[in-house]
Amino acid sequence: MPLNLIIALITFSVVLFIITTIILKKGRMPEKYSLLWYFISLVIFMVAVFPNTFAFITEKAGFQTMSNMIIGIVLVLLTFLTMALTIIVSGQKKKTTLLIQEISLLKSEIKKK
Amino acid sequence: MKNKVLLIIPAYNEEANILNTYNNIMKYNKNNKEKLDVIVINDCSTDRTSEICHNNNIPVIDLIHNLGIGGAVQTGYKYAYKNGYDIAVQFDGDGQHNVNYVKNIIEPIKSKEADFVIGSRFVSDIDTFKTSFARRIGIRIISFFLKITTGYKIYDVTSGFRACSKEIIKDFSISYPPEYPEPVTNAELLRKKFVIKEVPVEMQERTAGVSSIGSWKNIYYMVNVCLSLLVIRIRRYKRCP
Repeated sequence: MPLNLIIALITFSVVLFIITTIILKKGRMPEKYSLLWYFISLVIFMVAVFPNTFAFITEKAGFQTMSNMIIGIVLVLLTFLTMALTIIVSGQKKKTTLLIQEISLLKSEIKKK
Repeated sequence: MKNKVLLIIPAYNEEANILNTYNNIMKYNKNNKEKLDVIVINDCSTDRTSEICHNNNIPVIDLIHNLGIGGAVQTGYKYAYKNGYDIAVQFDGDGQHNVNYVKNIIEPIKSKEADFVIGSRFVSDIDTFKTSFARRIGIRIISFFLKITTGYKIYDVTSGFRACSKEIIKDFSISYPPEYPEPVTNAELLRKKFVIKEVPVEMQERTAGVSSIGSWKNIYYMVNVCLSLLVIRIRRYKRCP
């Protein structure tokens, strides 16, 4: 693996690690969601540190270069992540609607009395 | 036994029309010895809609946040369900709907001829509604998609002048589409084997204010509605117990 790719990967994984930690520290993300980001950061770090193992996997999986494989994996991961987030957001929207309706109904009942 | 009927009036920034609409309904009640109840759902209007309602003793629920047409109307159905209404009629607050036609659209429900009645602009000769060519084409396309997904032909798929039975009030209070509620509910009700009937009504042009459907959104609207209808085709439905 070229040295500049190794440096880029390590930098990226460290930055990801730090950002996740800062977000957690500020309480803007529950711990359970941070696990995924720590895991991704760890995987990227491992790729940079043990390139031979991944070179082996790249060859077996039929990718031309390791960076192709990494981009491919990241793309698939992000697609699923975005889908999961869409589902979560839609669920939240439903719950918010329900809350707004119920509070508004209650408020009007209280006002009547 | 007389049926308890509720008119659900969703209102977003309707300060210019809401009082007129309410007074017309009250006048109708007086002249016809009817008792149509009204609930205005104020969808967090930024104008004086809420103030006008409170000052004139118009029954109103002020939503604490804007929900859009689907969420607002569903609040009305929840109110209808909680207060034991037999029939709920969706009625526009902008003066488009004529209260004299309410009896026509609730009649098939009273006589158990239908569970859901749509006040339709396109099923008779009294069609005086001035609507653009593009809009008519749009309605035709949605109507066609509805036919594909449910096997039934509904002419005025986007009409917001609708009446429903007690069973559907319960159904709607549990689940109501937040977006494009008219065509989507038509399709869902048909899939749930409810009987839908269209009766001719006349609609006036908006007396004041601006409609919530802007022309630039039309294509986006069409694509979404058609997609929603296709999804309804592959979903499984059963009536709520």
